[in-house]
Amino acid sequence: MKIKYLIPLFVFVPVALIQLTVIPFVSIQGVVPNLLLITVVYFSISNGQIFGTVTGASYGLLFDLISGNLVGSNMLSLTVAGFIAGYFSGETRREKYLYTYSFTLVVFISALLNAMIFSFFSVMDFNTNFVQALFNHALLPSIYTSIVSILVVIIPYKRAFD
Amino acid sequence: MFKLFSNVWNQFKEYLVLLSLVLISLSILTQNNNPQVQKVRALAFGGFATVTSVFYDVFNITQLKNENQVLRKLNAEMMIQVSMLREYGILNRELKSMLGIKDTTSLPLLPATIVSKSLSITQNTITINAGSNEGIKPGMPVLSYRGLVGIIQTCSENFSIARTIKNVDLKLTVKNENKRLNGILKWDGEKLVIVDVPRTYDFDVGDRIVTSEISSIIPVPIPVGIVAKIEEDKTGLLNLIQIKPFEEVLSVENVFILMLVENAEKDNLELNFYNR
Repeated sequence: MKIKYLIPLFVFVPVALIQLTVIPFVSIQGVVPNLLLITVVYFSISNGQIFGTVTGASYGLLFDLISGNLVGSNMLSLTVAGFIAGYFSGETRREKYLYTYSFTLVVFISALLNAMIFSFFSVMDFNTNFVQALFNHALLPSIYTSIVSILVVIIPYKRAFD
Repeated sequence: MFKLFSNVWNQFKEYLVLLSLVLISLSILTQNNNPQVQKVRALAFGGFATVTSVFYDVFNITQLKNENQVLRKLNAEMMIQVSMLREYGILNRELKSMLGIKDTTSLPLLPATIVSKSLSITQNTITINAGSNEGIKPGMPVLSYRGLVGIIQTCSENFSIARTIKNVDLKLTVKNENKRLNGILKWDGEKLVIVDVPRTYDFDVGDRIVTSEISSIIPVPIPVGIVAKIEEDKTGLLNLIQIKPFEEVLSVENVFILMLVENAEKDNLELNFYNR
């Protein structure tokens, strides 16, 4: 079995640990960045669409089980996010989207879809203002997630110079 | 035939993988209340929470200094309040004995620490370091010294997951403490609201909201928050009462579990009444 298929599983534990313990300390008005999504997008661009989709599904399911969320909600949203991010994969596009600030844009698009799907299963009812719900539940977390994803671009870049 | 499948797979494999995983997710979503799924979840979060609790403690140390300072001040204020309450307690006992009212029992509280928080705008949950070994059961209220935090959802042997009041799946019967008016409290993804309140109900900004004794989940009045805003709902026939919670779920670290589930004797009595 190729080691590349096991790497996401090893990465999941520390990422989920940080998401559940450290990230609550950096929340702004209840809005938190989604590190799992950033990781799924990274694997999706670097290893292809199918790999990203399966990684998204596995990460979502595992996170639902350990966090007490509705089981299947994160699985569904991260599966779609991984699939969308996979469109930016490919031999020629990988360098462009993985190591430049375009990565944050891909994260933003995936995060927006991820949050919209996740919210759909949670809050939509008669009294919900759709535009406001879209802004609060999808746009703000997506912006925060994409800002944090800048670190994925900056840190390896700085290290290369050092 | 095989060649046809092979061609379809080669052309659309990404979409086929997506479709099958989406279908699996949707079928899992419908199985959330299945005991098997609950069992797997209890095993998974129990195992992971052991690791999380160690990690969370390390990060929590930095916050302890500030928290200690706040608690010292609160302790002093509480000491004065306790002294006053003792006076009222003595008076209360005397008056009750004069009237012949049965006294209430003290409530069993189990202290616990939050070891991880899963924060999202709609489904906030917390994991606490006490489980079925300590006698915790799903449905028990989780509270802090300020007020209600949430309700136990699932337990493993040593850990439990609680839905906080900022979780869209948690709906509670609450009441206006002064005016004795009941309503259903829920988190709509942005704010805590008491929904479908008739416009004739006399709620005012600043009124204290506590859990109602008619709740099928929480049998005793626990402070929840105060009325922050009153607005019309979209139909224009009912009011939405916005509540500012006493406890901020994001910052709470230590909690108590009220070791009570709704009174079985009362349940049986009510069920017998309905079954007649």
